[in-house]
Amino acid sequence: MSILDVNYAAILVDGLSFALPLLIIAIGGIYSERSGVVNLALEGLLGFGAFVGALFVASTIGLFAVNSDLPMYLSFLFAALGGALFAVIHATLCIKFMANQVISGVVINILSVALTGFLTSTINANFFGAASERFTLQTSPRWDIPFLMEIPILGAAFTRVYPFMFIILLVAAFFWYLLYKTRFGLHVRAAGDNPHALDAAGINVARVRFWAVVISGALAGIGGMSFAYSISTDFSPAIYMGYGFLAIAALIFGNWKIVPTFAACLIFGLTRSAAFQLLPVFDASAAVIDLAMTAPFIVTLLLLALFGKKNRMPRALGEVYDKSKR
Amino acid sequence: MNKKSKLSPEERELRRLQEESEQKRKRGEHEGRNLLSELNNALDSATRVLVKGLSAHKWQSLVIPLLAIFLSLATISVVILSFGSSPLEVFRSLLAGAGWLPKVNYGGGQSQLTDLVNLATTLTPLLFGALGFVVAMRAGLFNIGIAGQMVLAGFAATVLVGYSDMSALVARPLVLLIGIAVGALAGALIGFMKYRFNIHEVVSSIMLNNIFILVVSYFIKSYYLDDVSRNARAASAEARLLTEPIQIGEVSARLPVGFLLAIIAAFILWFFLTKTKQGFEMTAVGKSPKAAEYAGIKIGRTVVSAMALSGAMGGLAGVTHYLASVPSVAPDKLAGVGFDSIAVAFLGNVHPLGAVLAATLIATLSSGAVYMSSIVGVRQEIAALITGMILLFTACGGYLRAWIDVKKRNMAESDADSSGDSSACVASKVSKRENEVAAETEVEALQSADNAELRGGDGK
Repeated sequence: MSILDVNYAAILVDGLSFALPLLIIAIGGIYSERSGVVNLALEGLLGFGAFVGALFVASTIGLFAVNSDLPMYLSFLFAALGGALFAVIHATLCIKFMANQVISGVVINILSVALTGFLTSTINANFFGAASERFTLQTSPRWDIPFLMEIPILGAAFTRVYPFMFIILLVAAFFWYLLYKTRFGLHVRAAGDNPHALDAAGINVARVRFWAVVISGALAGIGGMSFAYSISTDFSPAIYMGYGFLAIAALIFGNWKIVPTFAACLIFGLTRSAAFQLLPVFDASAAVIDLAMTAPFIVTLLLLALFGKKNRMPRALGEVYDKSKR
Repeated sequence: MNKKSKLSPEERELRRLQEESEQKRKRGEHEGRNLLSELNNALDSATRVLVKGLSAHKWQSLVIPLLAIFLSLATISVVILSFGSSPLEVFRSLLAGAGWLPKVNYGGGQSQLTDLVNLATTLTPLLFGALGFVVAMRAGLFNIGIAGQMVLAGFAATVLVGYSDMSALVARPLVLLIGIAVGALAGALIGFMKYRFNIHEVVSSIMLNNIFILVVSYFIKSYYLDDVSRNARAASAEARLLTEPIQIGEVSARLPVGFLLAIIAAFILWFFLTKTKQGFEMTAVGKSPKAAEYAGIKIGRTVVSAMALSGAMGGLAGVTHYLASVPSVAPDKLAGVGFDSIAVAFLGNVHPLGAVLAATLIATLSSGAVYMSSIVGVRQEIAALITGMILLFTACGGYLRAWIDVKKRNMAESDADSSGDSSACVASKVSKRENEVAAETEVEALQSADNAELRGGDGK
């Protein structure tokens, strides 16, 4: 196989189908961290969101027409709800109970793995009469976008795309607008940089942070559901692959800003898919893919070493807001 | 008065409370709000008992985790009951599975002792990992790279010693040394990148975790694959950190070499962190890097050496995990122990000795789960759920502490106000003492706030 036979379209599409879910999870993390709440819980949030979405599909599948795509779209809604609900725990612990935000994140992750594993097998055994630790999903349809797909080179990015990629682009655009162009977004950013000023302006810091954390849960849920469709077409404990941590790395790499974070996600996604597609060219053994997969991580570390000094995290990140302290 | 002063302070306090509530109730009856005020009184006195019981900060670090464990067990009991099983039976069989209680029957050559030895074997890497996390956290660093340090050290020891034909006397110390050296290097790298390039340790340890497991996977799949287990080929028995089978009564067991080392390491670390200059410097950097720098402590050197020490513990966790508690190094997957040890460290109050207790508890839950599931039929994931709940309630501990301090101050004030009646003398004595305690508390609250900062202020 020569370098000309490589499926470049697949590199683009697979890269995007990995980068976009990562992006939406990272945007969730950006909301939480820009509001001043450290969010190491993304991993647990995306898993719980995907669990709720998959549970919805598994329990209502008989109610829809056989080839209907409606359950798939609704599952993203439920995944967002599930993620948001689980994020309420993180928000309550960090804001109301003044828990250490790092500890709270670790707790949420451990709890999420334990709870979804326990519930999946229990629900499967008691309600669906199957001894299984996974909820099977329908395969997601894949679209060819007319006209756009005929653009030379870039058109490849518009063949065989997952519907969730459009959902994510829409949601990401909306939350970009919300963070940078609206009053609420200003409050979120102020809560992380200068909560006392926000408080002096008459805004309830605790409430702003609470909603920011809930939003991060909802977005992580959408990302988790996308991974469930694109990587495995089922929900199982295998969803906890560390993508939540990867999203954290992406958002720190992106200096807590949405557009640079998107670039980081693209680096992760494209190097990953390129490694898979280029392997046959070099007649490499399957094990070499492991070495190739280290590329995005090494690149990230090098870039951070070169440009990391400019990174600035939100000033009040990790601090419990206490009115009486000034 | 004479009679009163013979009573112990507790009894006096109780009597005062009774009198007070009696008076309040009488007043309440007059106002016709009997039930409500009685409920208030009951709540009030319950609060007082709780606040009194927990006000000594010395005990809080022990009582709050115990309370968290109790609350978690209570919550899980409700869950178990809703599945129609008996919670007591579940907890009993968890303990039996871990070796604390006798099982119903044992397989050939096995006894409660074998279970206890297995428990010690699984506990060892968990404790080493937690100790590594504690050291880093004391220096204000969040080392979530334990899992990566583990796999690198475990793999290096397996390849360098495990596949050679060294005798046990040479091989085992060498395995431990390789664990320490490889782990320390991997940890120091994180510290170096933090100091030299300002790369946050959470990001670099996530990256390094991924890089290490991928590289190890590549080498295993290319050169060291066992065709049956699809893991790395097992290390020689001489290199494994388990003794030759030792006959104890009717059963024979392989004792974990690392277990005693881990306990000793916990005590050494405790001594190191609290009693030595280097340990003090690390804690100072963790509390306030700027103040430490002003005091002439070299930040860079301290950060790197703290991470190296933390990584060395992570490396020891790696060799005791991959060369004792599991058969061999598995590709593609980091050991869950690396992340569980973070939970253990937090449950143990980020204290080396607390980690010993916490590791015992978590190891008991995880190693008793399979037996419990086979006996009671409740899914074994419930053990992980218990761990999660304990942590959830532990995380609320800081809130409880602050709440107690506030309540205590309020109570001291209100007692000082109401000291005009019959038990004036006693009450004023009590309130005087309480004021002293309150002042003490304030100092301690400040200290614990410092601690909180140390634990998480710079956590991210």
